[in-house]
Amino acid sequence: MNNLVVIGGGPAGYVAAITAARQGKKVTLIEQKDLGGTCLNEGCMPTKSLLASAETYEKIKKAEQFGITLPLEQVKINWDGVQHHKTNIVKKLVQGIGYLMKKNSIKVMKGEASFLTNHRLAVRNENQVEEVEAEQFIIAAGSEPASLPFSPFDGKWIIHSGQAMSLPAIPSSLLIVGGGVIGCEFASIYSQMGTKVTIVEAAEQLLPGEDPDIAFTLREELEKKGVAIYTSSSLTEMQPEDKTALFKHKEELHELQSDYALISIGRKPRVLGLGLEKVGIHFSKQGIDVNEHMQTNIPNIYACGDVVGGIQLAHVAFHEGTVAALHACGKDKNVNYRAVPRCIYTHPEIASVGMTEKQARDAYGDIRVGEFSFTANGKAMIANESVGKVKVIVEPQFNEIIGLSIVGSHATELIGQGTIMLHGELTTDVMEDFIAAHPTLSEAIHEALLHSAGQAVHS
Amino acid sequence: MAAEVVMPKLGMAMKEGTVSTWNKKVGDSVSKGDMIASINSEKIEMEIEAPQDGVILDILVQEDVGVPPGTIICYVGKPNEQLTEQNSSANELQAPKNEVAAAVSLEEPPANAAPSKKRKETVLISPIARKIAESENLNVETIKGTGPKGRITKADVEKVLAERASEASPPSVERDNLAINKETLPVAGMRKVIAGRMHNSLLNSAQLTINMKADVTDLLSLQREIKDVIQQRHKVKISLTDFIARAVVLSLQEHKQMNSAYIDNEIHLYNHVHLGMAVALENGLVVPVIQHAEKMSLVELAAELKTRAANARQGQLSADRMQGSTFTITNLGAYGVEYFTPVLNPPETGILGVGATEDVPMYQGDELQKRNLLPLSLTFDHRVLDGAPAANFLGTIKQYLEQPILLLL
Repeated sequence: MNNLVVIGGGPAGYVAAITAARQGKKVTLIEQKDLGGTCLNEGCMPTKSLLASAETYEKIKKAEQFGITLPLEQVKINWDGVQHHKTNIVKKLVQGIGYLMKKNSIKVMKGEASFLTNHRLAVRNENQVEEVEAEQFIIAAGSEPASLPFSPFDGKWIIHSGQAMSLPAIPSSLLIVGGGVIGCEFASIYSQMGTKVTIVEAAEQLLPGEDPDIAFTLREELEKKGVAIYTSSSLTEMQPEDKTALFKHKEELHELQSDYALISIGRKPRVLGLGLEKVGIHFSKQGIDVNEHMQTNIPNIYACGDVVGGIQLAHVAFHEGTVAALHACGKDKNVNYRAVPRCIYTHPEIASVGMTEKQARDAYGDIRVGEFSFTANGKAMIANESVGKVKVIVEPQFNEIIGLSIVGSHATELIGQGTIMLHGELTTDVMEDFIAAHPTLSEAIHEALLHSAGQAVHS
Repeated sequence: MAAEVVMPKLGMAMKEGTVSTWNKKVGDSVSKGDMIASINSEKIEMEIEAPQDGVILDILVQEDVGVPPGTIICYVGKPNEQLTEQNSSANELQAPKNEVAAAVSLEEPPANAAPSKKRKETVLISPIARKIAESENLNVETIKGTGPKGRITKADVEKVLAERASEASPPSVERDNLAINKETLPVAGMRKVIAGRMHNSLLNSAQLTINMKADVTDLLSLQREIKDVIQQRHKVKISLTDFIARAVVLSLQEHKQMNSAYIDNEIHLYNHVHLGMAVALENGLVVPVIQHAEKMSLVELAAELKTRAANARQGQLSADRMQGSTFTITNLGAYGVEYFTPVLNPPETGILGVGATEDVPMYQGDELQKRNLLPLSLTFDHRVLDGAPAANFLGTIKQYLEQPILLLL
């Protein structure tokens, strides 16, 4: 009998498998597709590869600003080349996970798992069914894109994010339904490649979870690239036959025809088909219920990653997978959800950690906000990337840093500093004397901290 | 890697602790959380838990030997694990271990005290957790950290505060009634000063109160005998309090350690006696100070006390007349209080509480007599002196009060 079986080879699953194996467990991992899950195959990695291509193209077009003259009329995007770069990266990364499985003596089974009892699974691979027994299980089945209730994905016109990254050619027009993280990232990718992009978002702003001023900076930049943005708008009808969508904006009905309609309205946990009901595992549409150790109501069965709902980010899944595996091995560890960075790979990038300004005001009343604009940052100016700012939120009684938001170049790298500040529960007086290298984009974070204490030097 | 188990610091004033019992011996298997030893320091006793699964690799401190906080008392590691070079060097500082017991004395801490102490004093705690703990006057050394390597997090501090709040909360029915009937008074002015000083007094010293009764039958007789003469000659109405003040002043001169102040980890002994005398006012309390009371006769002291008390009640005490006391007397006898626990007037080492005299039947030899007993409560700072010298001091006061003729000399 296996000590532990992990269902799903995505970020939560493969990390859980490796962690448990390193603790001495005999581990089997079951994956129905390729190792790496959504992150590697249909999410983080391929989209970032497309973004890198789009941004390189954008940068080359602006070479003149850096004193480099090019025959710009000859600079074109080779879509096949872009796809090849993406596929190559994904392939290498998937192979890397396979290598890690071997290195840690983890048996990998291909197939679709479903519980028969709380110690036995049926694994279906094509027409073959194999039963697998184990003392413990970790469910890391991930999530899948949510579809419109009235118009399911057809893969031809109505597509999801996984399909949007492997289109046969750069579309000339693209409707994006949903202005959240995924929608904005695709808007950024395709608008830089010349696609006419339209975003329809139900909320009042793009990226509803972020501060309005941070989201507004992105909106302005997307609009400069020709993206049409309709917030507070609702989709009323999809007509696949003539590729036309109808949506209402400010009581006015709009009609839009596009090559594709990307539906990015969120992701739903994959809770069906796992036989959860057979074992009596508590779950809902929002995901599988777990405690702080990622343990379900059935003590020998754990769940982690997107399948438990909550924050559906790969790095949260990594950590939840670790916590689940360690607890299954008798170790105690919790996930610190307070310091989870949120990264949006648009152009400019957005990254934040902790509370937004509104959340902080709701929680603490009066707060202190420090800001510093990249327009006053030398390194950003040199790179022609001076759009954006750093915003730090400070609790007033003890000067605790409770939130950091960055919109601008390399925000997703810079946010690591904020994550450390929140994870380390640091206060501004601890941070005031730290030395930021000069010239760097990091200086903007230091200046924002100083600004929150009324001591900004460069603003 | 082997884990060091160190003598914990169980309080700010703890200078050393003793392993009273080893529950395990070298080679015994332990699981994380197992009780491996009982330790004590002065009046605090606690159990030491194994920090991790493993075996006891080495025991460095024998039972009943006092060592400073931070001293490594044993190692827990894997079976047959060799202690690292660093571990070994720590051992060498104490080695040979069997000789440690003989070498250690209360006055002379072992050679490894300094580095170990330094390590122990570095409590792993996040900056915000430390700030919140300080603002709530929580001793961070008593908080169990749940972060990496036991680091104390904000959540850990908040948990302790929540537990403290729930312990302090009255039953819900009472709380509801309080909510309906409550009246809020601002804490301002004199109340604010008193609140702050008394709270800080209890937080920043080690207060202990001892009680004793003095037979003041003869003293009260003497007072009756001489009060009219003194009234006529010196225009002073001499009271029991004046005799007590005189007894205290004389006793303080004999017990210098009680006439002192604990300031910045130093004990300041005074040759002069600046006597504080608590005076109740309508809205609070002030402590006028009789400077150089040791130079005054009983009558001079009585006159000065009357003047100061009158000034206090009339609000005519200048600030310099309320500062610099070296010892204070507080009297609740007029309110019928017998014994109480006076709170030190910082930075003084002692305060004497005086209760109400009581008529009791007492044998004097074989004869039963009616006697007047005066309850005395002495609160002192245990950082400065211990119970026995404090009791001697209180005993001296009692002697003076029971042989009142000495107070007139």
